[in-house]
Amino acid sequence: MKKLVYTVFVAFWAAVGTLVLVNALVPDAAEHAPQQTPEPTQPAGYSLSEVAKHATLGDCWMVIEGTVYDVSDYVPRHPAPPHVLEPWCGREATEGMRTKGDDSDHSPRAWRLLERYRIGFLLEGE
Amino acid sequence: MAIFSIWSLVFVVSVSTLVSIVSSHLEGLAGVLDALGRAAGIVGLTMLLLAAALSARVPGFDRWFGGLTRLWKTHHRLGAGSLILLLLHPVLLSLAQADSGLHAAVQLLFPPLSDWPIWAGWASLLLMMVFLAPSFSFFGHPDYRRWKLLHRLAGPAVILALAHAWQYGRTLPADADKWLWLVLAALAVGAVTWRFVFSRRIGRLRYRVARVIAVANNLVELVLEPAGRRRLNYAAGQFVYMAPFDRQLSAGHGEEHPYTLSSSPEEDVLRIAIKDLGDASRAIQTIRPGSRVTIEGPYGGFFTDREAAKQVWIAGGIGITPFLGRARWLHGTQRRCDIRLVYCVQDEARARFLGELQAIAEALDGFEVIPHFFYRQGPLDSGFLAAHVPDLAEREAFVCGPPGLNTLARRLLTSADVARKRIHTEEFELL
Repeated sequence: MKKLVYTVFVAFWAAVGTLVLVNALVPDAAEHAPQQTPEPTQPAGYSLSEVAKHATLGDCWMVIEGTVYDVSDYVPRHPAPPHVLEPWCGREATEGMRTKGDDSDHSPRAWRLLERYRIGFLLEGE
Repeated sequence: MAIFSIWSLVFVVSVSTLVSIVSSHLEGLAGVLDALGRAAGIVGLTMLLLAAALSARVPGFDRWFGGLTRLWKTHHRLGAGSLILLLLHPVLLSLAQADSGLHAAVQLLFPPLSDWPIWAGWASLLLMMVFLAPSFSFFGHPDYRRWKLLHRLAGPAVILALAHAWQYGRTLPADADKWLWLVLAALAVGAVTWRFVFSRRIGRLRYRVARVIAVANNLVELVLEPAGRRRLNYAAGQFVYMAPFDRQLSAGHGEEHPYTLSSSPEEDVLRIAIKDLGDASRAIQTIRPGSRVTIEGPYGGFFTDREAAKQVWIAGGIGITPFLGRARWLHGTQRRCDIRLVYCVQDEARARFLGELQAIAEALDGFEVIPHFFYRQGPLDSGFLAAHVPDLAEREAFVCGPPGLNTLARRLLTSADVARKRIHTEEFELL
């Protein structure tokens, strides 16, 4: 038992150390990694009716604070079960993001994560 | 039974976490790692809170676990499990982010400071590494005093872990995470409150050292008389936590240690035989009569009320103490018994209390003492047992001694067809 715990303890620091070191040694990875999908040169504008066409879990767009996100790829990894997210697909979802249904905001990490799925902005005046 | 319930709870939490994660369809290797990372966090925290809940040491409560030693073992295993899982938790979650790049993986581990729940998780994990390092001998054999002090960091570690989990806990359906944490945290807080508030006020009984009998140069028997209104109610062979208050002691003033009672419950006084095994037990050899001590207990369920009449006792060294208490009680109450006590020691000089035990054997029908000397007869073997206890398989066995002897005795007894559930062991090393 003691040996096992000690082994995992050492392995933990080895893994964390390796991640940090490799990250520091490969500067390009840090620069380019977050942009998996190349951003459009001109951010696209979408209307609410266009967003509404993407209202399923497999194809889920959301408008959050004036920005349009395509979160389809993230849905399976969201901590809350899919049925919690489904009603917010294809529509204005700021309330869902800000309140999580129980008046608690998402963490700063969640907000940063969201930025990876930005596809454009909401066209005003509809 | 209680041990079974604890592990069943861990099992149910593990299965329901995995089921609820799997039902939200996993995507790719990253998805699997993410799911395993979250499950490791939930099950790890469950085990940590259960370990905390078991730390209360409420007298009597340990009987459900088959004695305090078993309860501590469960506590120890839960602690080991939780540390392993909680170490895996951030690594798995970080690797799960690596499909978005190495930077994302490292960002998850080391986010900006504003992301406090992650840092609360880190702080908790680092505290766990510190307070559990002695428990798992990370850096050599631990010092008892330092180990006890460091173990108090468990409190802040649990609070930080709960703050972290509360912020992220949305893996289980509905608010099941939060209910799970609320119930387990309530149990843990209750346990710690008992331990540090109530047990000090009402759990500790006041006694005074009436006599110090030097049994040998490294062994004393303390005779304690009640100094308060309440007396300890116990069964022979149980043990207590005793803290001595004598400022002239070179170590261990006010520090509690577990000791087996060697007295019979019939006596007006308590007796505790203490062998010099470490700083505190060495110092206590010189405790002065009249010193105050506190006693908390009793603990242990070595002897039960349901045991068979025909018994074999195997004692090793200072492991004789619970048997001594029991033999004194049988003698004092003139109980009918059929007991063979195999007393294993290095040589005649180390056979403490042998004279008294032989005197009891002469006065008490059905009680027989069989000394076994290592230097002459080698390790205890099946031949010796068969020669001196021919009807071994019919007897219920009680073993108390150093871990090596316990393992050996258990093996000899099972190979002599004594059913495992009829073998009871009491271990001295609590770590």
